[in-house]
Amino acid sequence: MTAHSFPPTDGPLQPPRKGWLLWPFHTLSRRMGQGVAVTFYSLVVLIPLAALFSNAFNDGWGFFWKAATAKEALSAYKLTIICSLIAAGVNAVMGLGTGWVLARDSFKGKAILNALIDLPFALPTVVAGVTFYTLYGPKSPVHLTLTGTWTGITVAIVFVTLPFTVRSVQPVIETMTFNAEAAAATLGASPWRVFRTITLPTLLPAIVTGAGLAFARAMGEYGSVVFISNNLPFRTEVASSYIYSLAAAGDPVGAAATAVTMLLVALAVLVAVSVASRRLVKGH
Amino acid sequence: MKSPRSVRSRIGLAAALASVPLATLIPATAHADSSNVNVVGYSIVKPVFTALETAFQATPAGAGVTFTNSFGASDTQTNNVANGQSADLVNLSYTPNISQLVTAGKVPANWASQEFSLGGLNVALTGKKQQTTYPTPGILTDSTVVFVVRAGNPLKISNSWLKLLKTYKTTTGSGKTKVVTTHTIGIVTPNPTTSGSARWNLIAAYAGAISAGDTPSQANDYLKSLLTNTVAQPVSGSASLSAFLSGTGDVLLSYEDDALAAVASGAPVQIIYPSKTILIENPVALTNSGLSNPAAEAFYAYLFSSAGQTILAQNGYRPVLKSVWQNTSSTFHHFGTSAVPITTFDPSGWDTLNGQFFDPSNGIVSQLEQSIG
Repeated sequence: MTAHSFPPTDGPLQPPRKGWLLWPFHTLSRRMGQGVAVTFYSLVVLIPLAALFSNAFNDGWGFFWKAATAKEALSAYKLTIICSLIAAGVNAVMGLGTGWVLARDSFKGKAILNALIDLPFALPTVVAGVTFYTLYGPKSPVHLTLTGTWTGITVAIVFVTLPFTVRSVQPVIETMTFNAEAAAATLGASPWRVFRTITLPTLLPAIVTGAGLAFARAMGEYGSVVFISNNLPFRTEVASSYIYSLAAAGDPVGAAATAVTMLLVALAVLVAVSVASRRLVKGH
Repeated sequence: MKSPRSVRSRIGLAAALASVPLATLIPATAHADSSNVNVVGYSIVKPVFTALETAFQATPAGAGVTFTNSFGASDTQTNNVANGQSADLVNLSYTPNISQLVTAGKVPANWASQEFSLGGLNVALTGKKQQTTYPTPGILTDSTVVFVVRAGNPLKISNSWLKLLKTYKTTTGSGKTKVVTTHTIGIVTPNPTTSGSARWNLIAAYAGAISAGDTPSQANDYLKSLLTNTVAQPVSGSASLSAFLSGTGDVLLSYEDDALAAVASGAPVQIIYPSKTILIENPVALTNSGLSNPAAEAFYAYLFSSAGQTILAQNGYRPVLKSVWQNTSSTFHHFGTSAVPITTFDPSGWDTLNGQFFDPSNGIVSQLEQSIG
């Protein structure tokens, strides 16, 4: 890693070693940049999040706890978390494979495939949901009925979150050098050992980032899953649908409390996955 | 190699992505205008209101009047209006929604008498029962809960609520490999938390069990079995119809008007009228802002005129105006006394029943769903 990265991320403001006479201007421009960034981030993310938290606790802790731990909410969390974790896991593996092929191999139609990867982001999720219902519904043209099952929900989530892992590992693979792998192989390491001890640790941060984004996105997914799930309370109702039903039924505080709980769970899972993956790398 | 720091910062971003769209919690606003009428309705009345508004604009009273429309799930619309969305005239799926707007101070408490003071009906001259088919004031249209089944009714589903729980057998293979499977009839009905139509369906089912001689406790058991056999609870009546037309389930519980529209559009389904059911009554009211808007008052009166009620009847809604009912009744199934207003079923009315059945934590339906899940 380089000693002078820009913009500097750590420590108090230091005058640059050269041209220190220009220091006040340099600081001013940097402070302006920070100001714009913080203002923008506040308007777009922090203020709505603060409003969400404030709504969630509008009627006090007791109400928050009651809404966050309602039986229907608990069963919706469980379903959503399990399906999202499986989908993120599937996408970590398949995204790595797809990213690898796109970055390393050249074949006919690669440019088209590369462009198609982002399509799930461009497609309105409700359109994806209706499409899945037709494709995997009771009248499935491929004779595969997944409606009303956890598998169906997971398939829909995998579809909408695939681009995250592909797009996070692909650039890393593209810029990777293979000197270390070659050296290890020369010294007699098996291909699996080379992959496990050298390639995977290099790619792991990108995989974790991609899978983490996929998981987080999956937790809030509504449009693509609400049809295929059949939306049965306590059975196949996902958290976002439960939250929507609370909001629609005139319980914005309950909706916010449930949403905040999902947010905290997502955060906890992401931190845990990140810590575990770094342990995994250090273990070798 | 990427530093752990960048992973951590991505986690923050990822967590932010997980939050639900906040837009659903923020009500929309529309502009106010003297000759503009803000109409807020429940989801399925959108097409009929388009027809009504166009016809009204062609009348002398409606010349130059413009409309701002908003249609969606009845409870959502109610909350939006209670929270400040502009509305001159509201048409919602059941009276508890109007009661909520009365509590919120948006609709006057005497809203039901607007039908006679503003709707062009004269109580003093003829009496309520003389001019309207059913004596519930403030109601724009009637409808009922029906069973929608596949064309030809392959499972021979009858007109009995209780017999919806019957089982049927299918056979695959032959000889030694012959397998007989027993199925229950798969029921599709919307989610009662989001759909007003679903609430009518479940109350009608409960009333059906009671009228067949069940005690309230037996009727609860019946409702539980019905919910157990429910294979999908889409978010709205329209979403349920789509799911059913895509092949989900064997019977759809639906508004009669929605079912008539599906049949008219050529969908391969047919309607079965339950022998005992609830008369659905869809309320309409002018809000306080509507009462100070002459165009809104004129449109309200038009809704109760022969012309307005005829358009509603042509769209599958049972007209409340007796003269229009007499002209159009041949297009509707006649159920005599088998469909009763909810107050006949339970004099305490919708506002009480709503909490008793659909309270999210203590309601009968919520408790039953929980015991199934």
